[in-house]
Amino acid sequence: MPNIFVILVLFIALFTNRTLGVTYGVILGILLDLFIGKKIGITAIMLGAIGIIGSIFDKNFSKDSRITMMIMVMVSTIIYEVGMYFINYIIFSINVEIFEFIKILLVEVLYNIIITIIIYPLLQKAGYYIENKYKENKILTRYF
Amino acid sequence: MYKNKKSGILGIILTIIILIMLVILTNIENSNLSYIENVASKLVVPIQNGLTYLKNKINGNSTFFTDINDLKDENKQLKEKNSQLEQSLRELENIKTENETLKEYLSLTEKFSKYETIPGYVVNRDISNYSRTIVISIGKKDGVEEKMPVISDKGLVGHIISVDDNTSKVQTIIDSGSSVSSLMSTTRDSIVCKGTLESTSSLRAMYIPTNTTIIQGDSIETSGIGGIYPKGIHIGTVEKVVNTNNNIDRYAVIKTAVDFDKLETVLVIKNK
Repeated sequence: MPNIFVILVLFIALFTNRTLGVTYGVILGILLDLFIGKKIGITAIMLGAIGIIGSIFDKNFSKDSRITMMIMVMVSTIIYEVGMYFINYIIFSINVEIFEFIKILLVEVLYNIIITIIIYPLLQKAGYYIENKYKENKILTRYF
Repeated sequence: MYKNKKSGILGIILTIIILIMLVILTNIENSNLSYIENVASKLVVPIQNGLTYLKNKINGNSTFFTDINDLKDENKQLKEKNSQLEQSLRELENIKTENETLKEYLSLTEKFSKYETIPGYVVNRDISNYSRTIVISIGKKDGVEEKMPVISDKGLVGHIISVDDNTSKVQTIIDSGSSVSSLMSTTRDSIVCKGTLESTSSLRAMYIPTNTTIIQGDSIETSGIGGIYPKGIHIGTVEKVVNTNNNIDRYAVIKTAVDFDKLETVLVIKNK
């Protein structure tokens, strides 16, 4: 199954600013935890982290290229899932099954990348529209 | 005169021949002549059909305009009737599904009659790929509390991890954070069944005593140790035994009795 929440939070963080990205991540995470999570806060922490990572990506990479976007989604999905697994391991003392974990993670990353490829034109259009609203004076540090 | 006489005889002969021919023809069986009839009918029937069609069309047209209003009324009535029938069909289907659900509840309650149970159904499943919790439709209002065991008609499902007024979250036994203390039904040896990421229908039985033999197909049930699950609830059967170099860390794969992908109705056990 793909993880669309990661894409959503990353997208918000990339095109708005860090505060908004983290806020949306944490709120979405708490809602998810309330609805289905085992403990309240785990998803919130990790989606908040994705918000921070998104803003770091925003400062360092271009959002115009499909490839960089795909890599950003890939990296943030991996960070999110590894973080979730690590926190779950600490709290619930689950069995560590690295091989199975990586297998599921790869499928999930693949799904997320495919979704990014499909919705990329939409993401870019909507993103720049939002960006113009939120970031009037954006200072570009460096673009690759 | 001669000519006339001759032609008179010829006429007589011809007449006789024709008459004889007629007698023969009328005496021949019909079947021998049917091909001639066939040819004739083949020539005539299409034309006849066409004419009849035209005639019918012309006749029909005269009544077409008078009938159209009647037809409209009839159509309206039929449509109304159709919608009524569809509605009643839907109602019947609803009743049917309700009946099935109630029957399922009844059989569940009968099966686990020694426990006081609350029936409920699954309303949500986990979106994550790594945890397998479910949300069920009963909550505090129905008397559900944390750490109550959850079962289905086939066997053990899991236990309640959190409750709100109308729903509760259940950590299933296949969740990777879950471990259930259990017994092998034949040897009565105590093992621990843990959930794996590997599949949604199998558990890993660990801490198997070194001196015991595991039988494939052996039934696994809860041991009652740990305080959450009561003793004797069926979990599943031994699918295979994975032997490692030493006997200490060998494990068995347990196939769960419950099909978690198709789980719909559950029972929460109230008294332990």
